[in-house]
Order: sequence, then structure tokens, then C-alpha cells
Amino acid sequence: MSGRGAVRADLEQVFRTAYPRVVAVATRVLGSRDGAEDVAQEVFLSFARTAVPAGEAPAWLSVAAAHTALNHLRSGRRRASREESAAGPDPTVPDVADDVVTLDERRRVRAALARLPRRQAVALVLRHSGLSYAEVAAALDLSPGSVGTTVRRAESALREELSRHASSH
Amino acid sequence: MRHPTEGTLRRLVDEPAGVADADREHVAGCPACLSGLAAAQRDAAAVSTALDTGTPPDVDAAWSRLAHAVAVDERRRAAAPAPARRWRNRLRSPVVAVVGVAALLAGGGAAAAADWLQVFRTEQIAPVSVTQADLVALPDLSAYGTAQVVEEPDVRGVADAAAAGEATGLGVPRVTDLPGGVSGDPAYQVGNRATVEFTFSAERAAEAASAAGETLPPPPAGLDGGRFRLSAGPGVAAVWTSGSGAPGLVVARVVAPTAESSGIPFATAREYLLSLPGLPEDLAAQLRSFAGDGTTLPLPVPAGLATSSVEEVDGAPATVLTSRDGSVAGVVWVTDGVVTAVAGSLDADEVLAVARGLQE
Repeated sequence: MSGRGAVRADLEQVFRTAYPRVVAVATRVLGSRDGAEDVAQEVFLSFARTAVPAGEAPAWLSVAAAHTALNHLRSGRRRASREESAAGPDPTVPDVADDVVTLDERRRVRAALARLPRRQAVALVLRHSGLSYAEVAAALDLSPGSVGTTVRRAESALREELSRHASSH
Repeated sequence: MRHPTEGTLRRLVDEPAGVADADREHVAGCPACLSGLAAAQRDAAAVSTALDTGTPPDVDAAWSRLAHAVAVDERRRAAAPAPARRWRNRLRSPVVAVVGVAALLAGGGAAAAADWLQVFRTEQIAPVSVTQADLVALPDLSAYGTAQVVEEPDVRGVADAAAAGEATGLGVPRVTDLPGGVSGDPAYQVGNRATVEFTFSAERAAEAASAAGETLPPPPAGLDGGRFRLSAGPGVAAVWTSGSGAPGLVVARVVAPTAESSGIPFATAREYLLSLPGLPEDLAAQLRSFAGDGTTLPLPVPAGLATSSVEEVDGAPATVLTSRDGSVAGVVWVTDGVVTAVAGSLDADEVLAVARGLQE
């Protein structure tokens, strides 16, 4: 993914426009702002030397952020599952409709996200980060019609995880 | 009419303009679809809440951080050759030359006659750790003698798997289950067998050493003018590319490298090459540690950029390489004198899944 040329002249302009969304994509995957900002920095450092046309940059950056963050998430998954088994009984989690999302719930959502097929996870995160169906389709080489199905299945799997945990308390 | 798909119902939640009028009208009057739409709305809302990202980041502070990182990167690049040049140097670097030659000498059999004699064949691959400093600091291969291309690989695109198989005589592996983010048909590239002949020159090596302020150990008898032929190929690669930074996938297969010698005392020459100035001791130690049966091909792995581990693919030991930033992974293994590699902007589990699912 690393480019080979000089630093792009439009780097700052693209950065200021796209950074919030790139961080949002990575935060949705990781559930951690610090980790997400590290991923965003990594992605922009790679982007700095690419010749990706400015018009395609937002989608390119979002996809790169999703993949990089998912790689981080998966590499930390074994560690997380060890922590989970060592953590003992969980505190009570409020109803999923509540605005308050507990730390524990966040962790469970990320674990479920890490278990999803890669394409479903990326499509879900990109859609919830504001990319249109057409943009998600182009980014993942899907037809716009199948984006809805892919996102729906991912949401259904995550919702099941949330509900399963909520009903066990 | 048939009920719209669950994907269509999902799109109705947040992009109704993208749904056909007929579908919208059907859903409006269909209790089953309205129930499905409500479920899709509930799930979307719940997931949206669970994935909430909080307050927007501080863009100014982040820009300062990135600008600093880019500046540091610029200084590092200015101090080192440009990447393309570095890659060329890597190909010409004595590290790689020595790695190759040391590997072929690992077979250390009896001295051969003047005829070419195969002294090395790849049966397995083992990673050796190479730092960028090693690759940049060393003089290039021309300091030790002359390298001449005997056969060009002539890498070219072909229409499909059948054409690739015909051009190379290799079975072209098929991917049964593409990883997420990779789709469509691959482009096929083929290359013929490539052969390079290297002739060692004690005089050149001594000049290069003295220019670098080093003293060359006296070469053993027979090494001056000794010739080595390294061949690899033919090979084929199937390449999936996709736009917008989505991951690519490469599945490649190549007849494994072999080496021949014009006949010198192998073990002696191998030790000599490993003692040349400029070859870092830890790298030499790694190379010495290989079994001396002339069947292990060292694979230089940039120490700061990638990590390696060993897994199994189809009963063969396979080397898995992962870039430290997690963005790229690859796996390579050898079966019956043929090297197969799978790599892409994927994680190690994904490249292994592709590798283990390959069909002939």
C-alpha cells in the first residue's frame, strides 16, 4: 500500500477534509479513539505518496482505514478473548436501545465485528460512516443491490450478539 | 409480485431513492415486508448506537502529527536511496548474491569437472532476517565479479488460465473462495525461465574492499573466475486488482530456483563468501545455520518491515510473512520443485485460507 513518489501537493487539503471520516471509520472498528487516530495516521502516511486521484481519495482512505483497523482488531482478538475469559462475571448491560453503551458492550461488538467475514465487516463500517451504497459498491467491487444484503447480514449478526448478551442478564 | 430482498428492505431504511418504485409500492402495502423493514430499521439503529464514535477529532493537532511524521519520513528517504533504487540494489546486493551463492554451495559435494553441475535445488524456503541498513550499506554485486543474464524471463500478460498453462507448462492454481473485498476474474501474467550467470573476480572484490577501507581475505584456490548459474522459472501469476484501495490478491507459481556451478570446492567457497567484509555477522550466522544439503532457499525478510512465521499448507512447511503495519500478508511454500505464493492486502489467516483452498 505504500507509495513510491514524492509527497502529494494536496496532502493537507485532502487530510483536513477526510481525516474526521477516516478516524470515524477506524473508531467504529476499534471502539477506541487513540487506536483509531494511530490507524488514521498510518493510512495517511501511505496515502501521502500515492497518485490516487483526489476525487477518489475519500473512498480510498475509508476503505484503507477499515481494512487496517480490522487487521489491528483481528491481531488483538486472541488477546481480547483471553482477557474476556479472565474477566469473570460481566456487569449488567442496559437494554440495547439505550443511548448509553457500556465499555463491555463495546468490547463485545468489536469481538463480533472481528468474527464477521471481512467483506461484511468493511461494508457495514463504511455504510455507517456515511458512504453511499454506490460508494461502498465501488470500493468492494459489489453491485449496489448486494450492498444492502451484505450490510443487513452484518447488522443482523451484531444485533444478535447484543441481544444474546442482553437477554443473558 | 415477489417480495423484495432483505437487501432492498435495508436500502429503504437509509437510501430509499435507490430502490425501484415498484419495490417501494409493494413494501408499503405488504405486512410481511413492512415487518421486515421495521426489523431492518431496529437493527440498523442498534448497530449505529453500538458503533457510535463520539466527538469529532482535533484535525489541527492530527495534521501537526502527520506533517511531522511525513518530514521524518522525508529525511529518512533522503538519507537512503529511493525505494525503486533500493529494490534494484536489493536484487544486485551482495547479501542476496551471497544468500543465493551460499545456498547453492550449501550442498557442498565433491568438486565438479568443468561441466555445469547442479549443486542446489529448492525443496524448502527459510526466512533470513535482513535489515534495511544491510541492503543500503553494502556494495553492489558488480563489486565481486560480473553477472550476466543468460535467459530473459520476458514477463507478459496472457488471456486466461489456459493460455498461462500452455505458455509455462505449469498447472495454474484456481482460487475456490475469494477473500472479502476481492472479486471478479484475475489478469494472468507469465514469464519464461530466467538464468543469470555470475563469475567471481578476486581482483574486483579486492578493489571494492580496499575502496571501502576493508581488507579482503585471500580467496581459496579455484574461486577466482569460478562461475555460478542460477535459474528460476517458468512462472505464472494470477492478479486480482480492484480500485479505491480495496485489496488485491496475487497467486503465483514458479519453477523453484536451481543453481549450477562450473566446479569449485563448494564448502570452502561457501565459508569464504560468508566471511566477506560487508556481510553482517548475524546474517552470516543465519545462513550458516541452514542444513548443508543444498535444498533450503533463504528468503531475505526486511527485519523492520515484516515478521515471519511457519505454518503448513498441503502438508508442506509454509513461510508466512506479514508486514508490521498489518496491511499486507503472504505465504510461500515449495512442493515438488515448484514454489507457490499467495499474497495480498489481507491478513495472515486470509492468505492461508486461500492457499489451503487452491485447486489445480
